[in-house]
Amino acid sequence: MLTDREVLSTLNMLRNEHLDVRTVTLGVSLFDCASDNFDTFADKVRAKIHRYAEKLVATCDEVGDKYGIPVVNKRISVSPMGVVCASFSPDQMVRACKVLDEAAKAAGVNFLGGFGALVEKGMTRGDRALIDSLPEALSVTDCVCSSINVASSRSGINMDAVALMGETIKAIAERSADRDAIGCAKLVVFANIPQDVPFMAGAYLGVGEPEVVINVGVSGPGVVKKAIDRAMESNPNRTLSDIAEVIKRTAFKVTRVGEIIGSEVANRLGLPFGVADLSLAPTPEVGDSVGEIFQSIGLSSIGAPGSTAVLAMLNDAVKKGGAFASSHVGGLSGAFIPVSEDSSIAAAAASGALTMEKLEAMTSVCSVGLDMVAVPGATSATTLSAIIADEMAIGMINNKTTAVRIIPVPGKVVGDLVSFGGLLGEARIMAVPGGTADTFIKLGGRIPAPIHSLKN
Amino acid sequence: MYKAVVSFLGRDCPGIVHAVSSLMTELDCNIDEVSQTILHSEFAAILIVDVPKALALETLHAKLEAGLKTRNVDLAVTTRLFDGVKWNDGAAEPFVVTVDGPDRPGLISGITGVFARNKVNIENLKAVMPGGKSNGQALIVYEVALPHHVDPAALRAELRAAADVLQVRVGMQHRDIFEAVHRVQPV
Repeated sequence: MLTDREVLSTLNMLRNEHLDVRTVTLGVSLFDCASDNFDTFADKVRAKIHRYAEKLVATCDEVGDKYGIPVVNKRISVSPMGVVCASFSPDQMVRACKVLDEAAKAAGVNFLGGFGALVEKGMTRGDRALIDSLPEALSVTDCVCSSINVASSRSGINMDAVALMGETIKAIAERSADRDAIGCAKLVVFANIPQDVPFMAGAYLGVGEPEVVINVGVSGPGVVKKAIDRAMESNPNRTLSDIAEVIKRTAFKVTRVGEIIGSEVANRLGLPFGVADLSLAPTPEVGDSVGEIFQSIGLSSIGAPGSTAVLAMLNDAVKKGGAFASSHVGGLSGAFIPVSEDSSIAAAAASGALTMEKLEAMTSVCSVGLDMVAVPGATSATTLSAIIADEMAIGMINNKTTAVRIIPVPGKVVGDLVSFGGLLGEARIMAVPGGTADTFIKLGGRIPAPIHSLKN
Repeated sequence: MYKAVVSFLGRDCPGIVHAVSSLMTELDCNIDEVSQTILHSEFAAILIVDVPKALALETLHAKLEAGLKTRNVDLAVTTRLFDGVKWNDGAAEPFVVTVDGPDRPGLISGITGVFARNKVNIENLKAVMPGGKSNGQALIVYEVALPHHVDPAALRAELRAAADVLQVRVGMQHRDIFEAVHRVQPV
């Protein structure tokens, strides 16, 4: 028989602590849909996504219902379209993006990722066409997300691509200026992108992946916060070692939930189960915030001195607990710190407690990087590129994934409020550090990959 | 030998399990299986025992009562033949139904009526007051076997309707999720 504690603890996690499975992502390889005839390509893509995604949403709902744990987001990731559509022009890329958008809507998912390219070492014509299509493609579609990998620890940083992404982000912002530049919220620039990310906007299905796969992203910042609060209430003399242990055990529980639900969805759909991504991904809802965890551990707010240390401990403890709970852990795994998507982080940024510089420092130990950061619309393309380059450097040197999802909102200045709606949340425009990088960015070329001995 | 079900109920105190088991030994009865629990100050045990053919069920009952009396143990005894027939409605899935809210008369009967109508068997039932008696909040946990022919969504809706009448919250989840979260075993 189950013990009282087991039942009560699980009920609390479900009812009061926002425990859910954040996302189940169906990865579909589209390599076999490649064709230089657009109509053939489009027909194949529609048919294939429909074939595998038809029952995705209903199955996730059924399994979520069985366990009493909702699967909040159902999503699709596809092969990098820069490769699949290598023969297309930018205009055809826009049309391809629309085909994906329609397929996603028909399947009932809220996002589809993979309209991206891997250009860390160089750019093909297809990759270039895809990047050139982004301003139009991300403005005329609703569900499609894009990720461009411009750096890796083995290849270095493709600074030509970095420069291009700065210009592209500016262009996307202009194209969606009437909606606070929301197009930029659907684009992430990566270093060391993993190939099995279930979380958006970085999700795509990598080259080494199966034909179709189910990946699951578990979350639970609310559960972790409440577990820390309970531990502190029961004994105020707890040390950081104790708190790390609490986080580890909680991450274990949260990941088990994701593992059991992801496996069952995969079984019911007759598909292989890929990975559980252990990330703590916040939502704008109060009580489901990564930023609040910092307050529970004794900081006035995220951004205060000590934040990087707390984030490092949090990230590590989440990975340790989660790794034991799941046989196949992947994706980003760690703590996300997306400014607008987390009420507490957004508040810290608005009050000035969290600056861009501190945010960048924290990204050296977080799951991803500068995420959902709204900056003044007047920020130049080269400044955006330089911010991207800094973040890529952190990822390249430290052998970790880093990313930038930055939104220069046209017409807005520091302190203005921007609202993206839904999960994307709202935030105040953050100040960008002074100085210029125009000459540096115009140099182009590639920053060489680092040496892996002589580490310090 | 034949099998009998023997149950004991009474006030808990040290030595009563020894009193019961030593009596069984004296009567050449072998205890096959036993389940024992204490609720507040009350002791309850149910035993399945192998009884020698020569010892009739009525005699066993009488000797147990007499033996407990001489040991100064105040336990009520019941005995009956064990036939081993289990209630069975085909394949079933284990679910956990939790009911929580203000404690009130009729809480258990209101919910179990839904189970009875749907032929859902209760395998374990526990009612606790998680916040203490003064808190007035009850939590009732039912571990049930849900036959495959019962639609979980329909049952959940029926449970919710019953819970609304009783002004309590009800939840129904597959048992595996509780084990997955709390126990280290493959999921």
